[in-house]
Amino acid sequence: MATPEFDSDVLIVGSGASGAAAAWSLSRRGLRVTCLEQGRWVKPSDYAHSRPDFELARQTSFAKDPNVRGWAEDYPINNSGTPIYPLMVNAVGGSTVHWSGHFPRMRPSDFRVRTLDGVADDWPFTYWDLEPYYDLNDSMVGVSGLAGDPGNPPRSPRQTPPLAFDAGCEAYLRGLEKLGWHWWPCDNALISEPFGENRSPCNCCGPCDIGCPIGAMSSAHVTYWPKALAQGVQLITHARVEQITVDRAGRATGALYYDDQGVRRSHTAGVVVMAANGVGTPRLLLNSTSARFPNGLANNSGVVGAYLMFHPVAFVSGVFEEVVNGQRGPIGGLMNCQEFYETDLARGFVRGFELQLSRSVGPLSVANGGILGHPVPWGSEHHEALRSRYAHTMTTSVMLEDLPEPENRVTLDPGLTDAHGIPAPRVEYRAGENTQRMLEFSIARARELFEAAGAVEILVDPLVQESGWHLMGTCRMGDDPERSVINGWGQAHECSNLFVIDGSTFTTSAAVNPTSTIQAVALRCADWLGRNYREAAA
Amino acid sequence: MTARILTPEELALLTLVQDELVPAHGDLSAAGTLGAALTVDAYLAERPLLRRPVLTALRAVEAAAGETPFAELDSEGRVGILRQVENDDPEAFSELVKQTYNAYYTRPDVQASLGIDGPPQPLGFELPAFDESRLARVRAMGKLWRDA
Ligand SMILES: Cc1cc2nc3c(=O)[nH]c(=O)nc-3n(C[C@H](O)[C@H](O)[C@H](O)COP(=O)(O)OP(=O)(O)OC[C@H]3O[C@@H](n4cnc5c(N)ncnc54)[C@H](O)[C@@H]3O)c2cc1C
Ligand code: SF4
Repeated sequence: MATPEFDSDVLIVGSGASGAAAAWSLSRRGLRVTCLEQGRWVKPSDYAHSRPDFELARQTSFAKDPNVRGWAEDYPINNSGTPIYPLMVNAVGGSTVHWSGHFPRMRPSDFRVRTLDGVADDWPFTYWDLEPYYDLNDSMVGVSGLAGDPGNPPRSPRQTPPLAFDAGCEAYLRGLEKLGWHWWPCDNALISEPFGENRSPCNCCGPCDIGCPIGAMSSAHVTYWPKALAQGVQLITHARVEQITVDRAGRATGALYYDDQGVRRSHTAGVVVMAANGVGTPRLLLNSTSARFPNGLANNSGVVGAYLMFHPVAFVSGVFEEVVNGQRGPIGGLMNCQEFYETDLARGFVRGFELQLSRSVGPLSVANGGILGHPVPWGSEHHEALRSRYAHTMTTSVMLEDLPEPENRVTLDPGLTDAHGIPAPRVEYRAGENTQRMLEFSIARARELFEAAGAVEILVDPLVQESGWHLMGTCRMGDDPERSVINGWGQAHECSNLFVIDGSTFTTSAAVNPTSTIQAVALRCADWLGRNYREAAA
Repeated sequence: MTARILTPEELALLTLVQDELVPAHGDLSAAGTLGAALTVDAYLAERPLLRRPVLTALRAVEAAAGETPFAELDSEGRVGILRQVENDDPEAFSELVKQTYNAYYTRPDVQASLGIDGPPQPLGFELPAFDESRLARVRAMGKLWRDA
């Protein structure tokens, strides 16, 4: 036992993508690890996939916006200051409980944007420093895909082969081949063949965004958690953390939380690790004020909560004459087009984007606007319009790099609180000029692709409101304590036994989905903490 | 089955409105005739936040019909009223449409008419395997990433 005077050696707040990975890594070294998670285990019977009304779950029990879903475990978010709503899941496994599992890696240039392109900041480490942890993470969670993409550095063989290639892929391919653009089958955090325990391979049922009832999706509650629990990690569910406690010297001592009966409790630990995501972590640090940290824990710099990045997303859908059955097969990425990923200033902006070539949804969601918010008209044209779109549509997400700006931030709302009276977060965000120029250009490219592919109708949502899936940058990493909250090991500059390991660590956002990087960063930080626990806790 | 939230008059009006929103198609009756109004009533019972927009839209339909009750109008007249309400209060009206679509497209008979023979699980779908030979052109593109 490293620090017997505390309830635990390490206290992790949040059991999502990063918290689960760190719990597994730290417990492997024999440390006593406790994780406080405000949510619960999602049970197999909670999933709607076996019911004819499964698509309703998108609007109700499995809605991605916690303000809409309104589980008792959710907390409210004041979204009035942002055109993009933050989305998340508050449960064991966090936001990986219902997600799309699109699992690309960042590229080497993504870690060096100041050096290469003169914008934002470099990360405090390189792609090559992170590569072993990407590999370790993939081997833990199980990824389907194919190594050999010329758009990315060589990588280890994927755990299971790429997913099916159906009529929708053929449609995309027509366009890609005509234009001569890059594409590659996506890495996906889901298994196409047997892998791991108590998991079935994907049977292409479709709606991954309302969870995966058979464990094919590599969500943290089916990948890391069973292993972490077997290694002795104590996971306390329905435990809502109110604040991180500190001693007079300003060292973290643990957390105050409300248990499942609403009783306020304290848990002490030698080291506290924040894994509550890019909104939840700054919210808790800002709420943890003390004489030493009047503006919130580790926030004498004022950087906690600032530099919030989303990936502003546009959806572009192509409607085809032929049946493409976009509702069959995992909804997320089938193929990636990274033709426009690296900076080319002739395009009028710095940095780049990817086209995430995805599938579509069932008839109810199509009627209500599909992925795009273009409802099918009612009345005499209804049936014809519905039938021309349903099973005939493929949707591409334009995912672009969002540059960090200090004005985009998470703060504490002065009035709104959660069910325990804890101040709720308020999110302020606007897409910067570079982003807006890139959005315009990238939507035009997605249109060009669908035109080349022969789509008969093209529908566009130029900035999707419900697209704050990726919550990044609000406790950013860096070497400069004036411009960052933590160092390259996740250790707070102002509080050496406080670590942050979730999406808020991102120095810059890259133009790919973040979770493979979030988990690789969490494993790297946990590895360092495991090796240096005594010094960190001292 | 009786409604839990809607009065019998509101239920009858909603049924007529839904028949215009999603008319009959092939062998399938229109949404209202199929019973979508009772399903929407159940949604209103389960999700109180839906009540205000849906009831607001229904009342607006009634008010717009004026002297001649909505039920006594022909289909063209009813559609005219609905367009007017949609124009005047798009938010409330779109919620009414959305809940009607919800009630209609979650019915197995409606899904069957679209070729859907059951929910996604447990059977899923069988799709063709990925064919690596399709990547020949892209493989030949050479390194496309910047080292750093
Ligand atoms: C619908 C949807 C689709 C997505 N699709 C993709 C995708 O295809 N690819 C991809 O890479 N990413 C995707 N994401 C994003 C991905 O899920 C997140 O990037 C990832 O889960 C973030 O990991 P994290 O560890 O930072 O936080 P999370 O996984 O969000 O975990 C945070 C945990 O902390 C807990 N917590 C927060 N506050 C408290 C508190 N006060 N007390 C106790 N516990 C607390 C929460 O309950 C939660 O369980 C998607 C997200 C959503 C919502
Ligand atoms: S498509 Fe595959 S991964 Fe997605 S929910 Fe269905 S079985 Fe799970």
